[in-house]
Amino acid sequence: MNAWGLAWRTVARNPARAALAVSGVAVIGALLFTMLMLSRGLLVSFRALLDTAGFDVRVVSGQGSMIHREPIADASELAAAIGRLPEVERVALVRTAGAVALGGRAEIRAVDIALVGTTESAIGGVWDIVRGSPLPRDEPAGGPPPMIVSTKLAARLRLEPGSPLQIRVFLPGTASALPPTEGRVVGIGGFRFEATDDLTVSTTMKGFASAFGVVDADEADIVLAASRPGAGSAAAAAAIAALRPDLRSYSNDQVVEQFNQNAFSYFRQISVVLSSMTLAFAFLLVATLLTMSVNQRLGEVAALRALGFRRRRIAANLLCESALLVGTGGLAALPLGGALAVVLDRILRQMPGIPERLHFFVLEPQTVVLHVALLSVTGVLASVYPIWLAARLPIAATLRREIIS
Amino acid sequence: MTREPSAIVEGRDLTRLFPMPAGAVTALSHVSIRVDPGDYVAITGPSGCGKSTLLHLLGCVDYPTSGSIILEGRDVAGLGESGRSRIRLNRIGFVFQRFFLLPMLTAWENVELPQAEAGAPKAARRDRTAELLAYVGLAERRDHLPSQLSGGEMQRVAIARALANRPPLLLADEPTGELDETSGEQIADLFDRVHAGGTAIVVVTHNPAVAERAGRRLAMKSGRVVTG
Repeated sequence: MNAWGLAWRTVARNPARAALAVSGVAVIGALLFTMLMLSRGLLVSFRALLDTAGFDVRVVSGQGSMIHREPIADASELAAAIGRLPEVERVALVRTAGAVALGGRAEIRAVDIALVGTTESAIGGVWDIVRGSPLPRDEPAGGPPPMIVSTKLAARLRLEPGSPLQIRVFLPGTASALPPTEGRVVGIGGFRFEATDDLTVSTTMKGFASAFGVVDADEADIVLAASRPGAGSAAAAAAIAALRPDLRSYSNDQVVEQFNQNAFSYFRQISVVLSSMTLAFAFLLVATLLTMSVNQRLGEVAALRALGFRRRRIAANLLCESALLVGTGGLAALPLGGALAVVLDRILRQMPGIPERLHFFVLEPQTVVLHVALLSVTGVLASVYPIWLAARLPIAATLRREIIS
Repeated sequence: MTREPSAIVEGRDLTRLFPMPAGAVTALSHVSIRVDPGDYVAITGPSGCGKSTLLHLLGCVDYPTSGSIILEGRDVAGLGESGRSRIRLNRIGFVFQRFFLLPMLTAWENVELPQAEAGAPKAARRDRTAELLAYVGLAERRDHLPSQLSGGEMQRVAIARALANRPPLLLADEPTGELDETSGEQIADLFDRVHAGGTAIVVVTHNPAVAERAGRRLAMKSGRVVTG
C-alpha cells in the first residue's frame, strides 16, 4: 500500500473529522477563489466591455480628466482629420448630457436620463438594437430627431418604436429653462455602458444640438476611433496625439491600465488582503487538524518507526493526507466560490454608476491555476509541523508513554 | 583456536540515563547481553527496572548513554537514522504490548505493509502474507480490521507482521500484558514455534508462563541484571 492509499484509509477512518476538514477548506477555499476572481475581474470585464464597443482609441479634451472633460470644439473637422490618418479606419463623435425625458401613454412622467449624441448610426457595440431600427445615417430635414432608448427607459415610459418622446436638457450651472425637444423613438436598445440606475437616450448630433436650442454646436465630448487592422490601437493613439498634441488620446490598453492603477486597485488590494487571510485560515485549519491527528496516533507512528518505516515514508503519508483534505476541499471550493461570486457580483453591480455589463468577478483559467497553486502550497506548509512532529518522534520514549497511558 | 560465532545482537556495558528536571534517572547501568542465533531469552523484573529500555536499545530504537550495540558484528552507533530504520525493517521484528496494528488496515494489509516498505515484489508479498496468517492461525480472518479481532488475535497478527521480512531476531515487549491467560498461552505457544523455526527471541515479560519457556532468563532490578 503506497502513501496515497494509507493516507486515504487514515482520512476515511474518521469520516466526521474528514468531512469537517474538507468542509472547512471548501468554505475557506471558496472565499479564496472568489477573491482571486475579484483581483482581476474588473480589469478583464472592463477590457472586454471596451473591446465590444468596436472602437479602440478614445480622444478627449486636454482639459479635465477622462471622467470630467471639456467639450472638443470643431469636432467635425477633427473627425475628418483623424479619419484621414492611415492608422485609423473610422471615427465617431459622441456628446453626452444630463436631461429629463417626458413620456408615457396614460400620463406624462419625467425621468432623469443620460442623453447621448453620436455621429455613428450603429455606434459599434455601444448598444444592441432590441427592437426597431438604428439611427438613420441621413436625417430628414425638419423632422423630429430620431432616438434610440434603452430597454429600461422603454419599459419605464412604455415606449415603442414610433413613440414620441420629449427631452429637456440640463444646462450646467443653471436652472434649465429650455423648452423640451420632441423626438421620435426609432429603436430600443441595450446600452452596454448603462448602469443599473441609469436610463439612456441616444440621438444624432443634430438631435443632440437641437435639444440645446442650437442648430449645430460642432462639439464632441469624446472622439472614438477604430484603428485599422494591422496598425494597432497604440499606433493609432500615437498618430492622433501627434496630429493634435492638445488632446488626449488613449488606446483601450491605456484606458484599462489607468483604471488598473487607480479605481480598480482598491478591489485588487482588498482581494490581496482577503486572499491572504483566507490562506492563513486554511493553513491554520489544516495544520491544526493534522497536528491533532498525529497527536492522536503517536503510538502508531512510533510503532511504524520501530518496525523500520523511514521518516520519509511517515512524512509522505502525512503530506498525502494533507493533499487529500486540501485537494478535496479545494475542488469543492470551485463551484462554491463560483456561486458566491455570482451573488456578490449581483450585489456590487447595484452600485450607482457601474455599467450593468461590467462584472467584478470573472473566471479565467489562470484564476483556477492560481487557486490550485496557492492551496497546494498552503497544504504543504500546513503539513510541515505535523511532519516534523511525527518524523522527530522519540520512538522509545513514545512507546513507553503509550504503554503507561 | 576456535572463533566465537557472531552474535545477532550484543549490548556491551550499556548505560542509559534519562535527564529529568530533578536530576538524571538511571534506567540501565552497565548491562551487557549477548543474543546468539537460536537464543530464546526472557527478561523479567519489576516495573521500572529497565527491561523495556534494554529491549529498545537492542532494537535500535533508542541510544545508550554509554556502551555499544553490536548487531550482526557491526556497531550501530555509527549508523544514521536511515541505516537504523533499514536494520529494524529487515533484521529485527518488534512485538508490542498494545499491538499497534494500524486500525484502518485489515489483518492482511497490516502484515503486508512492512514487506511493501522493504520493497518486496507483489507476488512475494502475497505468498508471504498468506503463509504468515496461516502460520498464526488467522487465514480466515485476513479481511478483518483490528477492531473486529480479539486481543489475542490482534497480537497474533502483530507477530505475523513482525516476522514479515524474515528477521533473525524478534523482540517482544510484554506481548501478553494485555491478554487473558488463554490468549497468553496461545502467544507463548506461537513464540515456541517461531523459536523452533530458527528465529532468536528476546521477550520482556511479567508472565512466568512465558518466561519459563525461554532457554535463558535474565532477572533485572534497578537497571542491572541480577541473575542470568
